[in-house]
Amino acid sequence: MNAVTLENLSKTYDSGKKAVDCVSLRLERGQIFGFLGPNGAGKTTTVKLLNGMLSPTKGRCLVFDMDPCENPEKVHAVSGVVTEHAQMYNNLTGIQNLAFYGSLFGLSEKESIVQGCALLEQLELSEAKDQKLSSYSTGMRQRLSLARALIHEPKILFLDEPTSGLDPESAQNVHSMIRHLAQEKGITVFLCTHQLRYAQEICTRYGLMEEGRLLAEGTLDMLRREINSDLTVTLQAKNIPDNLPCRRLDELTCEITVSSQEEIPGIVRTVTQAGGDIYHVSARLPSLEDIYFTLTGKKEEK
Amino acid sequence: MSIKMKNQMKAIIKKDLRGITSNHRMFVTLLVVPLVLTIFVPTIFLLAIRFAPAEASDLQSLLEMLPKEPGGDLSKDLAGLLLNYMLPAFFLLIPIMASSVTAASSFVGEKEKQTLETLLYSPLSLRQIFRSKVLASFLLGMSICLASFAAMLLVLETEALLLLGSLILPDIKWALILLLVSPSVSMIAITLIVRVSAKAQSVEDAQQSAVFLILPILFMLAGQFTGVFLISSLLLLALGTLCAVLAFILLKKCMGNFRYENLL
Repeated sequence: MNAVTLENLSKTYDSGKKAVDCVSLRLERGQIFGFLGPNGAGKTTTVKLLNGMLSPTKGRCLVFDMDPCENPEKVHAVSGVVTEHAQMYNNLTGIQNLAFYGSLFGLSEKESIVQGCALLEQLELSEAKDQKLSSYSTGMRQRLSLARALIHEPKILFLDEPTSGLDPESAQNVHSMIRHLAQEKGITVFLCTHQLRYAQEICTRYGLMEEGRLLAEGTLDMLRREINSDLTVTLQAKNIPDNLPCRRLDELTCEITVSSQEEIPGIVRTVTQAGGDIYHVSARLPSLEDIYFTLTGKKEEK
Repeated sequence: MSIKMKNQMKAIIKKDLRGITSNHRMFVTLLVVPLVLTIFVPTIFLLAIRFAPAEASDLQSLLEMLPKEPGGDLSKDLAGLLLNYMLPAFFLLIPIMASSVTAASSFVGEKEKQTLETLLYSPLSLRQIFRSKVLASFLLGMSICLASFAAMLLVLETEALLLLGSLILPDIKWALILLLVSPSVSMIAITLIVRVSAKAQSVEDAQQSAVFLILPILFMLAGQFTGVFLISSLLLLALGTLCAVLAFILLKKCMGNFRYENLL
């Protein structure tokens, strides 16, 4: 059973805006799927379609083989959702909020509080558990939202920009928690973000979106194969010979694009034979960011 | 309905009631109006009856329309008029006001504070969420209404005993008002708020829609005070039944209209 299935999923709003355009993909259980693209690419709309908050104009989507349009309550029972617009109650404390959402998902008050306290501990919010939400900072609210989404131990998590507003340390903490949830508990994570570097750190699969269309989908290696996966060699040396075909970054550093790592020894030889002193050589595969810009560039060329 | 589901709905009701009572400004407003209408106003009337019966007898024309008991005392007749013909109309205003303030905060307030979306991601159906919210507003509206009645009766009877030397007896109309008419108009007010809540962007927007419901009651109130018409128990029963049917139809209709898509 796939955790998520999209089949030619399309959504056009009443205003005529095509937010999602014929997107198809399948996602296995336990994956951390990075749904990537700039603001307005259709990521949030897809999350809303997957939770039955919107109904598709064309095509369909399934969550654990359940259609969110027909059975939204059943889909909600197995999912946890964190989005910018899903806030909690300012007049309740952190733990009271969690207890309320726990009881909505059928947990007893005692279970909700035990589970809530454990989550607050993991998300470093224990000290603030009896403070009203109105006194929480943006980062604390964001972490409490994550705790809220996890209170009923969902099978799938939909996270829409979960680390926006978090300081680097809290963001790191949230990343490791997401990784742990997927690896240890087999929770599938559907992560929407425009921060490509951050996605590359934790996701196991990626879908790159632009203007409602899915540009490419797969693991990082698959995506690299999709564009020509040239290596970028960075060389730091004194007296770099002028006949070396490279892009100069500064006096000592240059970058050379090669199609395979077999070419690197040749480059090193050329530099040393010409009397250059090498301080550093490194090769880098295209990052998610490189892939994304190559793909969007290709589309524009077309 | 399973026990689990009942508990889930109970959680929403509890949370909604807590939301209103913890908002001190709103809660005080909810209590002040009934307090003025049911304690302050009747006390002034009773004092007027006791100490200036001549002015109070402006209501003479009204009194003449009422069935007279032989050898009746003017002050006692006036007091009876106050309790059984004037005050009941307040018990239409109170539930409308209390229920619409609660409903507006419960439906549109959640939208304003962006907590509605979180609630919609719960495993309860839209219908169950709405039913819980309607029930919360209804319970609070009716609790305020019944508490006001109890407080009014206690204060009024004590005052009557002290000032006029005897109790004033409430008649059968009170049972009809409290058990049929008040709950029905309260429900009508809630369903109206719920209907506009999908489109309304602010709590004030939603509350305004209940205002026109108050207008006919104000006319009735004016009619009662000036003696243009006096509502009999039978008319009240008919009116109450009509309101109850209307509330039921509106409730059914407003629940059926909701889709996630037009709420967010």
